[in-house]
Amino acid sequence: MAATRPLTVTDVYERFVKGKKVPESEWDYTIIPQNLTALKEKYHIDFGDEIVPEDPEVKDALFQAGLEMLVETGFYCQDLGRVMKVTEEEVWEGIKKTPKKLILGEGRDIARFYPRQGNSPVKPIIQGGPTGSPVSEDMFIKIMQSYAQEAVIDDLVDGVMNTVEGKPSKSGTPYEIRATMQELRMTKEARTRAGRPGLGV
Amino acid sequence: MASRKYVDVFEAYDRFSEGDRIPEETWDYQIIPSNARLMRERYDINFSKTDIVPTDADLIDRLFLAGVDMLMTTGIYNTDFSRVLKLDEDEIYDGLKMAPKKLSIGSGKEKVKCKARRGNSMRKPIIEGGPTGAPVSEDVFEALIVSYAQEPSVDTIVSGVLNSVGRHPAVTNTPWEIKATMAEIRHVREATTLAGRPGMGI
Amino acid sequence: MDLVGLNMLAGWTVSGDTIMIEQMPIFGGYTGGVEETAISDVATTLASFALFSGNFHLDGPIHIRWGVTTAKETFQIAAHACAAVDHNTDLLLANQYYPMAGPMTEMCLLETAAQAINDTVSGRELLSGSAAAKGVVLDKFTGMEARIMGEAARCAAGQRVSDMNETIQKLLDIYQPHYVDAPAGVTFQECYDVTTVRPKKEYLEIYDKAVQTIRDCGLDIKR
Repeated sequence: MAATRPLTVTDVYERFVKGKKVPESEWDYTIIPQNLTALKEKYHIDFGDEIVPEDPEVKDALFQAGLEMLVETGFYCQDLGRVMKVTEEEVWEGIKKTPKKLILGEGRDIARFYPRQGNSPVKPIIQGGPTGSPVSEDMFIKIMQSYAQEAVIDDLVDGVMNTVEGKPSKSGTPYEIRATMQELRMTKEARTRAGRPGLGV
Repeated sequence: MASRKYVDVFEAYDRFSEGDRIPEETWDYQIIPSNARLMRERYDINFSKTDIVPTDADLIDRLFLAGVDMLMTTGIYNTDFSRVLKLDEDEIYDGLKMAPKKLSIGSGKEKVKCKARRGNSMRKPIIEGGPTGAPVSEDVFEALIVSYAQEPSVDTIVSGVLNSVGRHPAVTNTPWEIKATMAEIRHVREATTLAGRPGMGI
Repeated sequence: MDLVGLNMLAGWTVSGDTIMIEQMPIFGGYTGGVEETAISDVATTLASFALFSGNFHLDGPIHIRWGVTTAKETFQIAAHACAAVDHNTDLLLANQYYPMAGPMTEMCLLETAAQAINDTVSGRELLSGSAAAKGVVLDKFTGMEARIMGEAARCAAGQRVSDMNETIQKLLDIYQPHYVDAPAGVTFQECYDVTTVRPKKEYLEIYDKAVQTIRDCGLDIKR
């Protein structure tokens, strides 16, 4: 049956609340592994030694298995201990409503984040940075600049500033908030020093 | 000794995490009442039977000093850490000096200035009209806020809590609460605009 | 998904923000082998868009024993899951980098390049990294690792997949046996002149050597 509309976050919440109660251990150790094994067999999925698949049938079988996994198994909310369900039509509506083109950054430093389709000759967006690794406070700008100044980089991902004014930026404390805001300001300073003030962060 | 720096949120966090550990019941049922009693005696605080609003300047000053002393002697309790933050007199006064003495609320021609009045000045206080967090049903939300915004004596708006959004109850700590809060802000802005006062502070 | 995550999403969707959903499947955990983990990766990637209103998805299959994204098994999972979603949709897909070795080592550069080739040829649109030395040591990452990530991606884009599979395998054969004795590398402060933010000559030499190794493995990467 056609979907009424793509699911919103509040629709998902409603479904979680009304979903079936399942203990987390049963979800993790029984339902997930059992269903994955069954789908692997049903769709004859065997990667063998191949790293990047070439055969379109292999790609489609894996896609169908993944789609069926989501539709038949559902999604778990550990806070409520409940499972929500989604139909195949709703998954497709969700895919359709997702924007397929995004612009990262501003001005002359924008990066066009567009679909590539297979191994297109267009290179992917290169997002350079420490990806959440711990970075010391006094080196933060310099380290981010070392990424921003690389010609091949189109966009930045920052690290986690380890301290702020020498105090650990422990999560769940006011220092975490302060460090995060400082990280953003310092990353903006780093991209400006590298001569690319509009680089996406 | 002069304070090194006024106590901000981060300094407060450090002092909370290193403060003396005290059970919450001891704080609530022993420390607070016994210190309050002590301050009352120390500063001779006795309210007049006839003056609801005090007219005795000396009593007003003694009450202020008793409050400063209470804060200095007792500190502030953090219920998550079960620990007490301490601060000295200079730090209290530095914090007071840091606080702004006037604020602008709203924008454009609806902007109002909230300034210290000092006693019963001739200038009226800012009138912030609205349901102050009371539940308001979705159907009448905008109209109800217009009823405040259209009052000439009202300077700024305090919102109510939108009871539901799209008929769904705005239950706390769920995505509906977030959705309702964002909707609330949009509705209040629309209401002040309908009342012809789009820049009113919210 | 927990309620804190759902509430954050609610705020971002109402505000019209661009939303990235990050999800890192663990290979060797309760999802099982490479195929099962890839099925689960496809399912959760689809959920990021269909359930949680994501605008792009950041993957990161990670090896339970090594804590890296650069192992053969995690490459297979990432490449298959991406190829499957890419072949059936035009969603925007990204991946992140956790190599074993630290900066200013050839192994770190080879691991990063191998993953960049893997991600590019399987059809990803954004590569994010790199958290060298598994992303857990203070200041052990620099712009140079992102340079090799970008150059390898730029060069691999449009190449024949079967050729690139051979290149990836050759690179894996060089570095994967060294997970047990991987070089720890050095910090940013030791890799760069901190005042001028220029990589030291020693690092540039190691970079050139890594580029030559990648060329020898079949990708004609530019210096």
